[in-house]
Amino acid sequence: MLLGTAAHCQLPEPGKRAIAVSLIPEMSVVAPGETVALALMMRPAPGWHGYWKNPGDSGMETQIAWDLPAGLAAGPIRYPLPGRLIVAGLMNYVYERDYALLVDVKVPATLPAGTKLPIRARVDYLACTKELCVPETANVAVDLETGAATVAQTKRAMFDPFRQALPQPLGSEARFERIGSRFRMAIPVPADLTLREPYFYPLTDGVVPYAAPQIFSRAGDTLIVETEALSNGSGFGVVDGVLKLNEGTSVTLRATPGTVPAGGKPVKLAIQHSASGASAMLPALLGAVLGGLLLNIMPCVFPILSLKALSLAKASGDESAAKKEAIAYTAGAVLICLALGAALLALRAGGTAAGWAFQLQDPRIILLLLLLITAVALNLAGLFELPAVTLGGRLAERRGLAGAFWTGALAAFVATPCTGPFMGAALGAALVLPAPAALAIFAGLGLGLALPFLLLGFVPALRRRLPKAGAWMEQFRRLISVPMFLTALALAWILGRQAGVDGMALGLTAAMVLGLALWWVGRSQGRGAAWVPLAPAVLIALEVMLLLPVAAAGSAQAPLQGALKTEPFSEGRLAALQQEGRPVFAYFTADWCVTCKVNERGALQRQQVAKAFAARQVAVLVGDWTRGDPAIGRFLEKHGRSGVPLYLYYAPGKPAEILPQVLTPSRLVSMLS
Amino acid sequence: MKQMLNAFAALAIIAAPASATPVVGKPAPDFKLTDANGRIVTLSGFRGKTVVLEWTNPGCPFVRKHYGSGNMQRTQAAAAKDGVVWLTINSGAPGKQGYMSGPEAKAFVAQSGARPTAYLLDPRGNVGKSYDAKTTPHMFVVNKAGTLVYAGGIDDKPTANPADIKSARNHVLAALTELKAGKAVSVPTSRPYGCAVKYAES
Repeated sequence: MLLGTAAHCQLPEPGKRAIAVSLIPEMSVVAPGETVALALMMRPAPGWHGYWKNPGDSGMETQIAWDLPAGLAAGPIRYPLPGRLIVAGLMNYVYERDYALLVDVKVPATLPAGTKLPIRARVDYLACTKELCVPETANVAVDLETGAATVAQTKRAMFDPFRQALPQPLGSEARFERIGSRFRMAIPVPADLTLREPYFYPLTDGVVPYAAPQIFSRAGDTLIVETEALSNGSGFGVVDGVLKLNEGTSVTLRATPGTVPAGGKPVKLAIQHSASGASAMLPALLGAVLGGLLLNIMPCVFPILSLKALSLAKASGDESAAKKEAIAYTAGAVLICLALGAALLALRAGGTAAGWAFQLQDPRIILLLLLLITAVALNLAGLFELPAVTLGGRLAERRGLAGAFWTGALAAFVATPCTGPFMGAALGAALVLPAPAALAIFAGLGLGLALPFLLLGFVPALRRRLPKAGAWMEQFRRLISVPMFLTALALAWILGRQAGVDGMALGLTAAMVLGLALWWVGRSQGRGAAWVPLAPAVLIALEVMLLLPVAAAGSAQAPLQGALKTEPFSEGRLAALQQEGRPVFAYFTADWCVTCKVNERGALQRQQVAKAFAARQVAVLVGDWTRGDPAIGRFLEKHGRSGVPLYLYYAPGKPAEILPQVLTPSRLVSMLS
Repeated sequence: MKQMLNAFAALAIIAAPASATPVVGKPAPDFKLTDANGRIVTLSGFRGKTVVLEWTNPGCPFVRKHYGSGNMQRTQAAAAKDGVVWLTINSGAPGKQGYMSGPEAKAFVAQSGARPTAYLLDPRGNVGKSYDAKTTPHMFVVNKAGTLVYAGGIDDKPTANPADIKSARNHVLAALTELKAGKAVSVPTSRPYGCAVKYAES
């Protein structure tokens, strides 16, 4: 009966496994003393998954009991990078498609050629769907033989993708710390490596809750991961894990206790999990709604609201019409806010295409924000007025649904320039956040803006309780200009940090010119062509943007293709160059390797090195191991390395000289003589 | 401004509120559930007695490892002999594997020869989530003062193979023995293993 309860139709057919298992050797003839790679091929049926070494909140690690001929030894299971599967809030680290677990088996050198090597193993693993789990056992067998192995007999084409799916050793040590209920880890990752979807897969259990969101930020060559800490878990000496950098790129790392620098620039994650993504937006959305709500007491919006409220109060009786009008008003406000957001996003897309990085690292973006915030602050302080209020007032007098819709739209529109810090934040967010999040924030602003009127439409009693428009609103408006000016000050400071004193002076000049122009606008307001003085100011601002020293911010990404002439590494090319009798310098690097990048910046790309190399006609070969190229992996292994960097110098007719992992220009130059 | 934007972005990334993990050495969260007979059972009602909480799912192969071999029943009997309260909790949601109604749970207890003090039904998963129960089985021990003193697996052999039970350390039995002798629990936490608790999708 016990066994019967779970007999659902989803169970695999009798005699068939949920995950098919087979054992494949890379070569069936192995030279004594050599190592042969065995692949445990796991093929889950549709809907089923197998587990990573750390299965996550539930599940089981795969276990292999080897039955090997005497003298043979099997290494640990090497797992490819898994995926994440969240079921009812529980995190699973799984493989939902075919995957290969690799095991190295060492054949002793003492065995004579022609020895038969029967390899047997019992594999215990767990196969699950989202609903149920089945522990399965597979007995696998393969027969090898000792002898002279040839490359042609190996299944290299089959095994290379398996190797490429394995994480590579990072090479540098990470540090972690626990502060209260937070777990923070600093991982050395070069600043110029683009990260699209980083995720840390912990191997050490009990340190962090697996389903908790991970927040990534970067400070120079350090990637910082922050997540919750498990309250029961403390006193760990090391934390092991695998860091996924991008699709197809991952590294294994070990972290020891140490201090973790404060967070730097947040890493924008392309897409969070759909489930957590939706809830992640909630706080931002609520903030936007609140901001929108506060917009209502801004002097340029309030008159519209009070006018509409008054007209509703007068026309009391027709409740359904009032409700309809309230909804139309809301629709207008939300739609216009969305349109503004979309326009900004379109601008951003255009700018990105033109090579603008829409990050706060770009001083031009900071300048743009500085000028915008300055103008908003000056407006709030009363230096000049925006003409839209009267326009809104005229439209508010119109009746009917269309009138209500356009009033809502106009309220949103006129609110835009005089919105205080909220719109500033929304604008900034629209520039740096992913598009859906940015749009949601704008929609939230619109909704918040429309909320009081929506309430007025549905709760008639409120209509007569509306506070009267009056001088207090002007006071409030003047007051709001103070935080705006402070924001502008902060922006000027950031600009100074990024573009130096000259850049800051230019930015402040632009702000001053803008201020003077706006003053002029304010003075001549009421007369015709009041906005004309703004034209030269805008021109000057644009010019400053072009003049601004952008290089200051871009210096972290110093060009790596310096004076040294390089070509891609291959063993064939290396052999050909050696035949020619040319000295060859070969180096192996990866975009995620900090030591490599430091050596490249500090030594390899120096002028003196380039000159010395050119003088002796040294050919430079570069092996890029960023994505774990198996051919390079094998070459590294041959030189006793499991990872990068590796620096080799081949003087003509001599064996390779392995250089230290930390290079200096003088060491490189002296190596040649 | 930059800080503000950073905070803004961070705010947008932080997801749902963190689940409150119960902490070993702190008071065990109280709860109120209906048992298989329709009676209301509260944890605080057993204050003064040692209580074992066992998360279960009769369809899960890891649970069947311990019931099919009689290991769970033996552990329950040993606990009962010392006056320890044993609460078996099923947090499976209706329609999911292992969910049981009251009569089904009663039939299960009778047929398997299980010896729990009560078989509690938690179809909404609230109690399971308040204990952060992740797997079936997932075991908790609460001492007479109401303090959580053990959280983790039933033993230290995370497999589905009943043959492993003999050589495994039964963490629950060990904790109960230590408590009885007035000693501190030497292994207060371990990694639970088994199937995921089949919670309702929220």
